[in-house]
Amino acid sequence: MNGGRILVIDDDPQIRRAMRTALTARDYQVTDARRGEEGLEKLRSAMFDLVLLDMNMPGMGGLETCRLIRSGSEVAIIMLTVNNTEKDKVSALDAGADDYVTKPFSMPELLARIRATLRRLPQPPTSADLGELKSQGVEIDLPSRQITVRERISHLTAKEFDLLSYLLARPNKTIPHRELLQAVWGPDYGDELEYLRVFVNRLRKKIEPNPAQPEFLLTDAWAGYRFHLPTRD
Amino acid sequence: MPFAKQLIRVVTRVFAALLLVAAITFIFVRIVPVNATTSGFFYLVAVLLIATTGGLVESTIASVAAMLCFNYFFLPPVGTFTIADPQNWVALFALLATSLIASQLSARAKRRTQEAFDRQHEIEKLYSLSRALLLTDTTRPMPQQIVQQIAQTFSFPAVALYERHNDLIYRAAEDEIPGIDVKLRDAALRSTVSFDRNSGLTITPIRLGGQPIGSLAIPDLSLSDAALQSLLNLVAIGLERALSQEALNRAEVARQSEELKSTLLDAIAHEFKTPLTSIKAVTTDLLSDPAHDLPKYQRELVSIADEGTDRLSKLVTDAIELARIEGGKFRLKREIHFPSSLVSAAVRQMKPFTEGRGINVSAADDLPLVWVDAGLIQMVITHLLDNALKYSPPGTPISIGARSGDGRVTICVADQGPGIPDLEQSRIFDKFYRGKSDQNLKGTGMGLAIAREIIRAHGEEIWVTSKPGQGAEFCFSLPVAEDHNA
Repeated sequence: MNGGRILVIDDDPQIRRAMRTALTARDYQVTDARRGEEGLEKLRSAMFDLVLLDMNMPGMGGLETCRLIRSGSEVAIIMLTVNNTEKDKVSALDAGADDYVTKPFSMPELLARIRATLRRLPQPPTSADLGELKSQGVEIDLPSRQITVRERISHLTAKEFDLLSYLLARPNKTIPHRELLQAVWGPDYGDELEYLRVFVNRLRKKIEPNPAQPEFLLTDAWAGYRFHLPTRD
Repeated sequence: MPFAKQLIRVVTRVFAALLLVAAITFIFVRIVPVNATTSGFFYLVAVLLIATTGGLVESTIASVAAMLCFNYFFLPPVGTFTIADPQNWVALFALLATSLIASQLSARAKRRTQEAFDRQHEIEKLYSLSRALLLTDTTRPMPQQIVQQIAQTFSFPAVALYERHNDLIYRAAEDEIPGIDVKLRDAALRSTVSFDRNSGLTITPIRLGGQPIGSLAIPDLSLSDAALQSLLNLVAIGLERALSQEALNRAEVARQSEELKSTLLDAIAHEFKTPLTSIKAVTTDLLSDPAHDLPKYQRELVSIADEGTDRLSKLVTDAIELARIEGGKFRLKREIHFPSSLVSAAVRQMKPFTEGRGINVSAADDLPLVWVDAGLIQMVITHLLDNALKYSPPGTPISIGARSGDGRVTICVADQGPGIPDLEQSRIFDKFYRGKSDQNLKGTGMGLAIAREIIRAHGEEIWVTSKPGQGAEFCFSLPVAEDHNA
């Protein structure tokens, strides 16, 4: 059995050792890197399902590494941070991470986060009629996770894809925060509103013609999010 | 010295004026004899000439001399000071009056010109002083540069400036003026002008917005009042600028040291937490793996290590938090917030530790908005929650309430623990103080101290009400956002 390929990027040898031992025991294939630069090198030469990335590293920091990974890859990223502040968490998610864990963390918690991040939703129902969207210049190709807005092409990360598919499958209906979090991240989630805030912003940058004034991915204050799918009348 | 020089100059000019009158007399009596009218006009012209080129003294003397000569040499009977024809009296006095009035007018015009010239000169000096003060070099003390510029611009031999804010005296002089320090302080304190006749020293207070901010001593006060006032205004502005520059520098230094402290603390947090992370990963993994379950005694040993790791981790976090905020020298990032969302965010954060505990949140619906640093207030609530969890029996509920009144919002966290004895209540917010009655202590003794520092920085209060056996209730107040609703 093979649980997935994980790249651990952390400058501390003991942490790498512990991760390698514990994760290998759970049938993950583990590769490690000491620096952001080295991690990027390894990502270019091999395929990975998930990156465990330390936020605070000498040289190229974790946030910068995360941004560089994101510029060319949709691999899942979990950021390891020392500070438990809202600002740090949001900056990790903003840099493109899918989730974060605060150091020191318990192994069961990390394993749960890894499972949640790698968890794929069952193939989304593609009943939604995206034709009208296309006529408005927004082309969403779910199977290839490719978005084209006014000839600007972008790709969705796995979590972005899950979030968008979940909303698209229930168009024009407000989905509460908790429901979205549990459907996309897993049953252990529900209160992490900052995840939704950051991921919705990331999605808007990819699908909205003008991200500052969203037309499709709408916020219903205090309630949740709604995908406004235009229909042909 | 200058007086003697001036005297010699005046005497010389009087002599020259008399010589001119004598020359006219000689020419018209001996060389080209003319009638009385012609000579009278020539005397008049000569006096006017003297008046326009010389001063009042020589022109007045020349007027009298001309009158006497006119009478003696030209008015019949010639050769005497007597006058036969009464009409000639008129001519004589007309000559005298005209020449005296001309002298006066001319002298006055000259004085005006001189005054205008002096004014202009003063203005030029003040202008160059203000320019110099604007271009002062910020690396040297500004008041020192001000006195030097004054001494240089006005060519004063000595200038002394007293700056009241720092109680310092600045000098620009070759030799010390005795007793000047006391006089300067006195002038600034009483806000009075003093003039010393012996030394010619004038000491005037420097005021800004009615408040004396220092005093200035200058010798040989040849400046006009207006110029002196302008000079004092310039110095006042210069001093004020120096003080605000100083305050700005201090604020910059404080900001930099705060930044350095923050960077250092981040580095320390990272260094401590890195080894803790690997230990925690190992202990939790060993305890959680059902496939390789440990023998009971090994599980117990690993649990001890795991709990020790948690405790150390909490200690590091608390100690760093305390160091960050201690002494109140940190900046609050205040914003407008809903009190209830601060409470719910803190409850959410503590969720992993509140399992099996009922957390009852009761907040009034119409709570006003508060003006606080949200991150820090959430920290206060989590510390109070953490405290309540530690000091009350497992399974008992904890209630959090929020209410408003008196222009503030009060948030309370209450537990159903054993309560706190009166004696301990006053010390409970002290650093490293932990309740004595409870044997099973997990606290770091820093949580409540951190909470108090944060609440104090907001200008508010935190307190505890408790009776032994009836639980404890910790409350703190928060400022309402009304005034800041910009």
